[in-house]
Amino acid sequence: MTRADIVVVILAVALLPFLYITYWGSSQQGNELRVMVNGKETMVLSLHENKHITVPGPLGASVIDIHDGKARFVSSPCRGKQCVHTGWLGQGGEFAACLPNRVSIAVIAQEQRYDSIVF
Amino acid sequence: MSLALLTTREDHRIAWLAALAITLHIVESTLPSPIPGVKPGLANIITILTLIQFGWSTAAWVNLLRVLVGSVLVGSFLSPTFILSLAGAISSIMVLRVASWLPLSGRKQGTGTIGSGGSGFGPIGYSVLAAMAHMAGQFYTAYLLFIPHDALFHLLPVLMTAAVIFGIISGFIAHLILGRSLNQPRQSPVR
Repeated sequence: MTRADIVVVILAVALLPFLYITYWGSSQQGNELRVMVNGKETMVLSLHENKHITVPGPLGASVIDIHDGKARFVSSPCRGKQCVHTGWLGQGGEFAACLPNRVSIAVIAQEQRYDSIVF
Repeated sequence: MSLALLTTREDHRIAWLAALAITLHIVESTLPSPIPGVKPGLANIITILTLIQFGWSTAAWVNLLRVLVGSVLVGSFLSPTFILSLAGAISSIMVLRVASWLPLSGRKQGTGTIGSGGSGFGPIGYSVLAAMAHMAGQFYTAYLLFIPHDALFHLLPVLMTAAVIFGIISGFIAHLILGRSLNQPRQSPVR
């Protein structure tokens, strides 16, 4: 191997972790879950503690499940069940809302996956 | 009426080397691939050997003929596979052009190039550069023409890792072949 070969191989290998960080690291795992009712933040929970919580809203209780760094709506007293169908949220910026019951949850990470979401 | 085609030594050389590269290309196309776009790129060995032994323009001919004839034989001519392959070949050959401008590249230095610590590229450097350029060219073409979705970039790290690994391996094979052929009295492969 010539010196130029060694430089190329080292640079090529050094580029790889950079690529992984750039393209895989951006979807960062969230740490906390922000629960909002009626547009007001009611609680912030760690995503690393598994628990079931019941959040009272205008229509009734929405049940939220936190498990292994992810969270989801288990049930909500609404008709469309959009919030339940959103499924598990785990990455920074991910968001689910039950608009009829005015309950929403959002995952918080150091780096958010989305700046904003418009429906 | 007989038509005599004047062929030069260079034509014969290109044909021989392209035939070798096409053979590897076809053999490889029968191998299953875990991820689309990941192939060992064994034909790269021939491109690198040609570049070092006979210069860039011969290598460019061999590489482009390999893509063209290989795709006709495999049956992918003008298909997306062919277009990606062509884009990869063109970008790798461009990068090799730039790389071979480096002083003391290839065998201009004399027979002692291989394994000596010259400042130009040897087979492994060329091969890694070519493999990465091939992958990058192919990837951006796929992104621009076929799958213009940002999620495609999630594949890039894996594809590039494969390119670097296979680039090093085929460069090493080229290095071994050069070591052998240079130890024997030099003989043109073409009579």
